[in-house]
Amino acid sequence: MRRRIPSLSGVITTVVMICLYAPIVTVVLFSVDRDPLLLHWTGFTLHWYHVALHDPGVHADLVTSVEAAVLSTVLSLAVAITAGLWSRQASGRAQRMFDVLTYSRIALPEVLVALGLFALLEKLGIPLGLWAIVVGHVVFNSAYATVIIQARFATLGKSLEHAAADLGASPWRVFRRVTMPLLRPAVLVAGLLAISFSFDDVVSSLFLGGTSVETIPVLLLGMIRLHVTPEVNAIGAGQMLITTVTFAMAGLITVLRPTGAGEMLGFGRRAAK
Amino acid sequence: MQRLSVWITRVLHRPVSALAERGLLLPSVVSAGLFFLLPLGLLLLYSFGSVNLLNYQVYFGWTFSNYTGILRSIYLGVMLRSLALSLGATLACLLIGFPVAHTIARARGRRQVVLLVMIMIPFWTSFIVRTYGIYNVISYKGPLDRLLNALGLLHGQLQSLLFQPAGIAIGIVYSYLPLMVLPIYVALERIEPNVLAAAADLGARPRRVLWRVVVPLAAPGIVAGCMLVGIPAAGEYTIPAILGGNKTLMYGNVVSDQFLALGNYPFGSAIAMTLTGLLLGVLLWLRSRAAKAEARTAR
Repeated sequence: MRRRIPSLSGVITTVVMICLYAPIVTVVLFSVDRDPLLLHWTGFTLHWYHVALHDPGVHADLVTSVEAAVLSTVLSLAVAITAGLWSRQASGRAQRMFDVLTYSRIALPEVLVALGLFALLEKLGIPLGLWAIVVGHVVFNSAYATVIIQARFATLGKSLEHAAADLGASPWRVFRRVTMPLLRPAVLVAGLLAISFSFDDVVSSLFLGGTSVETIPVLLLGMIRLHVTPEVNAIGAGQMLITTVTFAMAGLITVLRPTGAGEMLGFGRRAAK
Repeated sequence: MQRLSVWITRVLHRPVSALAERGLLLPSVVSAGLFFLLPLGLLLLYSFGSVNLLNYQVYFGWTFSNYTGILRSIYLGVMLRSLALSLGATLACLLIGFPVAHTIARARGRRQVVLLVMIMIPFWTSFIVRTYGIYNVISYKGPLDRLLNALGLLHGQLQSLLFQPAGIAIGIVYSYLPLMVLPIYVALERIEPNVLAAAADLGARPRRVLWRVVVPLAAPGIVAGCMLVGIPAAGEYTIPAILGGNKTLMYGNVVSDQFLALGNYPFGSAIAMTLTGLLLGVLLWLRSRAAKAEARTAR
């Protein structure tokens, strides 16, 4: 066991690692390749970034992406924090029923929910657009945020809050000065994850944006399907940078501060246990 | 009547804080109800309705013709092939993911952390950009094409991957591999080294230890990994949209085409509900299996 199996699985692991990074590296390399046909490496250039940054379509879509990410994150956090407060005093049965509602939002394929929302909005005569995208993102983001924040609440006792109340703090003051500070790392992680999920989402944004509103991933999908121009690689590399940085920040906080999100994301060994 | 009055008095005398605590549930219930349950409920209703394909007017009704229509339609083959494709990709993910999880679980200290982070980093980068990266790698005259040609393994062009089921399977395995590796790693990490030593001391060969001790003990992780990969894979839209061209469709694309391109909401809803039912069935079956397995190990 100590000699034979590790060599085989070690080789597989090495190959997997190379395969995992190859596609990402090609996008980054292509984004700085001078050759407009992307067939040969003809030299380094930032031209495609220049093109992308001066594309008014990219600008408008970036604004939409940021708006959708911020709005859906704020709403999801509000839903998740209230759900976390509720679950502290919920009966076991109510909590189990609530969990089914939470996990089914994560488990069901996004296509189904997004098409359902699409049909519902059309039925009610509500136009598609930014708010429809926000609602679509809230469905899954609030579920992830609820899981993270409830996990954090489960590790917190109530003694500090009781002490604050005994010392005469009003319930609102207890919430603001005691509960929220204890919750802050979890809220921060949930928020960062929600931002990056929203920023990276394709399906809900595609179906719910309608004909005039699109986000960066939807723009990328359209560009990839219709005609590949080198600009795609530059936009893609930029998009990747934003999601990776938000994710990495969430990861860093999880490693440094207890949040209860570790198991879900597998950040580090201690968190996974 | 008396019961009602008792109930009313009880509600009126309930402390304010209890009501407030219940009110905390409101945002979750309202958002999940309006944005999740109601849309799915509408799809369920539509799936029993009918459509006038001349003016795209949808009528509610109680007909099973949409469901029976699935069996007769050209989509049945597409849907079955797409489910087989997701199943195959999930198994491929398991075959590749298990050795990787095994290597990570056996590594120690800093090396283990580095390996875990390396598996996770691609997952943290953008999903659509990663898929586009695969498109780059496996496309005609792309890096893989040239590498294989340079090595003499391929004569001519690499035509069999992009816009084919194999390309989609590669995309699914690539995108979801971390979701397979992590739960298996967690399960392997929990195995007591003494158990393995005991099996070896009792004369089990390494291969036997692997199949009779390691794999059964890692079963919960394997099941969790297959769920985390298989369920999203079955409803995948983006990967087939990019890597399948317009040739190879998957379940998610068939459903959305009915809504967005053909305007046949009832038929699309019936296809969507069939997938929902199928996935819920798989989830419940796996959950009951997991509960049984847990009961067995507890004993």
